Amino acid sequence: MIKPIKFAETAEDLLKEMDFYGIDEALVYHARQRDDSPDVGNEILLNEIKGFKRLHGVFAILPPQTGELGSIEEILEKMKARNIRAFRAFPSEHKYLMTKTALGSLYEVMIERNIPLFISVNESCGGISGWYLVEKIMSDAPDLTLVVTEHGSWGHDRFFRPLIEKYENLYLEISRYELDGGISDFCDNYGADRLLFGTGYPQWNPGGPVLMLAQADITNKEREMIASGNLMNILRRVRL
Amino acid sequence: MSFSALVKEFMEKGKSDTCPVIDMHQHMGPFQGIYFPNPSPEDMIRTMDRCGVKMGVFCSHAALIDPEVNIKMAKVLKRYPDRFRAYWCINPNYPKRIERDIKRFSEMEGFVGFKFLSDYHKYPITSPRYKPALEYADDHELLILMHTWGKSPYDSPTLVEKLAQKYHRVKLFMGHSGYGEWEKSIQVARDYPNVYLELTAAYAVNGVIEWMVREAGSEKILFGTDLPWFDPHYGIGCVIFSKITDEDRHNILHRNAEKLLKPFL
Repeated sequence: MIKPIKFAETAEDLLKEMDFYGIDEALVYHARQRDDSPDVGNEILLNEIKGFKRLHGVFAILPPQTGELGSIEEILEKMKARNIRAFRAFPSEHKYLMTKTALGSLYEVMIERNIPLFISVNESCGGISGWYLVEKIMSDAPDLTLVVTEHGSWGHDRFFRPLIEKYENLYLEISRYELDGGISDFCDNYGADRLLFGTGYPQWNPGGPVLMLAQADITNKEREMIASGNLMNILRRVRL
Repeated sequence: MSFSALVKEFMEKGKSDTCPVIDMHQHMGPFQGIYFPNPSPEDMIRTMDRCGVKMGVFCSHAALIDPEVNIKMAKVLKRYPDRFRAYWCINPNYPKRIERDIKRFSEMEGFVGFKFLSDYHKYPITSPRYKPALEYADDHELLILMHTWGKSPYDSPTLVEKLAQKYHRVKLFMGHSGYGEWEKSIQVARDYPNVYLELTAAYAVNGVIEWMVREAGSEKILFGTDLPWFDPHYGIGCVIFSKITDEDRHNILHRNAEKLLKPFL
């Protein structure tokens, strides 16, 4: 609930910002999806991005047992109607455990329908956090498509490389992968298909990842995969 | 989408003919908690060439831990006199050797001043243990790069202000711009002519560069990357895509550093 120094008030403002940085389309969540009840926040997001084809929404999740977001079928119906093709988890703020007991049924639906789950590595729940939480999710649901975002500027390669090697459906978003030579070193070792461009806007300055990716020491094909191709492939696979 | 000429040049070539970059906050060599693909001087020069960084001022990671290793930086300075200058690390955990360190520093070429890493060394920058180095630096108008962090008991912007009230000739660089305590850091840089904001890591925070330029002025901001930590293109991208003028971008990326380094070139 910390207010960023500057941010886009509306979807139109966000598009102007994206134009400034040369970004065509974006997967977005609304701050209220994190800072409010997901039920309220998901609706706010739907209203905000309605009619804006360049903005693709994600739904915040909760353990289905409380029924706050409706049944899983109802959630999927709503997603289908509004073309929402990804979930995001905020377990720190929304106070739930990311265990098989709590989310197993949701994981099954995500796997069955190829719906990706996004989570920041800064999230925590039940006393576990960061990459340990990521490993917990992946070990509970190895076939889940999981995208880890804003992994922080203190190089995390020692944390994530073992996970990347073990879990083929694990992806990294690069908004804070600032390590000098990190992207090219990663691509040399694991290929470019596990990295996704992101900015972390409005918290983080998009100019950093924009220039870093534009000039990374990789092939143009790899650059295009990271910039858009990989995410488009993930979203294309979704079956609602 | 239409980029400014400067942004376009960086986006297309990764560097600019008219806007070279000087990196005022570098390290060198491996470090405890992070994997570096490019830690050696030669690796760093390759990165600097790719990003249009004409010079870097560094303090090796080893020197941050062991004061005895400061002297080894001289070899790099001798080998690459056109690409590097260095900060001699003052470690307050070794008080008996600080006078000797200052003497050795005074006999060396290529060093521009001192590096304080108080958050890690666990002595506040106002500790008497730093006094000999501060007095020497003040007498000789040297540069001091301090790691600074918001609300830190060791190197917060409030503590930097206390030094600035006492020492007026030494140039005090607030490494990381007192990360997180932006309002206080900006006030200190604005109010004291010899205090500068240094951007390593801070540049990533959206809107903070515009805030600094607006209230402290782009003449008080220095570019740095912690190389071999952070890709200079990341930091440069944050600067050039900030909503500031090209004059501001030139000041931040090289002009301010050129003025400060002039006595040491």
